[in-house]
Amino acid sequence: MARFMFIFRGGGYAEPGLLSPSELGQHLARWNAWTERLLTSGRNATGHPLAYPAGGKTLRGRERTVTDGPYAEAKDLVSGTLILDAASLEEAAELARDCPILEYDGSVEVRPVLVPPS
Amino acid sequence: MPHGSAETLVEELFRHEFARLVSALARLLGPSHLALAEDVVSDALATAVHAWRLGAPDNPTGWILRTAQRRAIDVLRRERRFSNLAPELTSESTVTAAVEAALSPAADASNQLALMFAIGASGLGEVTHVTLILRLLCGFSATEIARAFLVDVATVERRLHRGRTRLKELGTLGPPATAEEVRERQPSVEQALYLLFNEGYHGSDPENPLSPALCADALRLVELLLDAPGVERPSLHALAALFCFNAARLATRLDEDGVLVPLAEQDRTRWDRLLFERGVAHLGASAAGETLTRFHLEAGMAFEHTSAASLAETNWPRIVEYFTVLAALSPNPVVAMNHAVARAEVEGLDLGRRLLGQLASEAKLLDYSFFWAARADLERRAGNVTQASAFYRRALELAQSRAERLSYERRLGALGH
Repeated sequence: MARFMFIFRGGGYAEPGLLSPSELGQHLARWNAWTERLLTSGRNATGHPLAYPAGGKTLRGRERTVTDGPYAEAKDLVSGTLILDAASLEEAAELARDCPILEYDGSVEVRPVLVPPS
Repeated sequence: MPHGSAETLVEELFRHEFARLVSALARLLGPSHLALAEDVVSDALATAVHAWRLGAPDNPTGWILRTAQRRAIDVLRRERRFSNLAPELTSESTVTAAVEAALSPAADASNQLALMFAIGASGLGEVTHVTLILRLLCGFSATEIARAFLVDVATVERRLHRGRTRLKELGTLGPPATAEEVRERQPSVEQALYLLFNEGYHGSDPENPLSPALCADALRLVELLLDAPGVERPSLHALAALFCFNAARLATRLDEDGVLVPLAEQDRTRWDRLLFERGVAHLGASAAGETLTRFHLEAGMAFEHTSAASLAETNWPRIVEYFTVLAALSPNPVVAMNHAVARAEVEGLDLGRRLLGQLASEAKLLDYSFFWAARADLERRAGNVTQASAFYRRALELAQSRAERLSYERRLGALGH
């Protein structure tokens, strides 16, 4: 088993006013069905949603310059992560295929988590 | 009508929270800030999706309420430029308590009623009224409303814009001040809910999964109205009874292939017993007044249809009586058509065929698929296969939905044409 991180960006709920209450509710229900499957399938999955509105601070370089934000476009902002076990990168990508974030043009980045060589 | 899939439950939760929080905020901020109220609540719901994607909290409604309160307070503190706000909203020391009090669940019913009556008072016509109700009190998007009414999204946006502007002109979203005001506005509110229910029931678009939600919401809102001070209760009970009886039969209107099933062929054992009984209670209460409304008559007919063990055992003479009164009360070609169909069951197919033939010059019925389907049904039963298939083909051309089209195709197939 290898470990993978799903990094979520954008999606319908990321842009204020894009979805109606009814659409938001339906969308959330599909999210819950999707995560429920992953959380209960023995993949040792843990999710970390980030707060909304994004906010936060960014520190840069030796000067430790502190700026507010990130202020990226909604579609580029990371909105959360999920870490889980999968047999291979292909299987992990296959699991991400059904992620509801894709319904509204969001993205899931699937990255292998570094495992020390045994 | 109640179907408990997870998707429906979350959707309902979001729509109902939107309705109650927008009603509360609109009343607090005043109608010139209606769009702001909608934004604040939409934002709270988007925040909830963000937070709950990977696992829901224990108390979702409390979560949404607190988020909406916090956002409203933030916005009011930040945006000092807002005009026409109550003094307690512009002072740092009172804004938190004012927002929390206004959004308290105890005021829910009265807030939603105030908004419904304000919409009813806007005098913009039933289609705009129901569009505003669908947006503000049911939480649907312009796109979803457009799909329900078979119009384009721009048209719905225009109606919403006109409605919001008019509410702003009215100046207050408080409840009606006097009993007279209540009685004056009640008929237009009733008419809007009647249309809301019919949109879900006959639906311009029966494939639309939202249809049962429209019916459920119409019933929810009419039962809410029954708690309002000063309303004429009998006509509201009649409307609620009508909704219950029709909603009880909702599950059998389409078969598993999405084809519209005629009443004669519906599986009556699948009709919703609890809704039927709720309807009977409303129907009993509707008899209390002096006034006989259109809703009383329609509820009476719906009761006869829903309580009958089969189509043949339906109390057709009673239905014909109701139609005779209804035709006098609100004469229109569709009522005349249904009256003729009911008379055919009592006085014979030939009379029905003749009456429908006489109505064929009515402009409103010429393009009405159900008129041609009704004629076709009577011709088929009278054994006139050629005439029946010609009428079914006409209905087929005019049909508005896939469910309807498939139903006529099936009938044509059975005729061997």
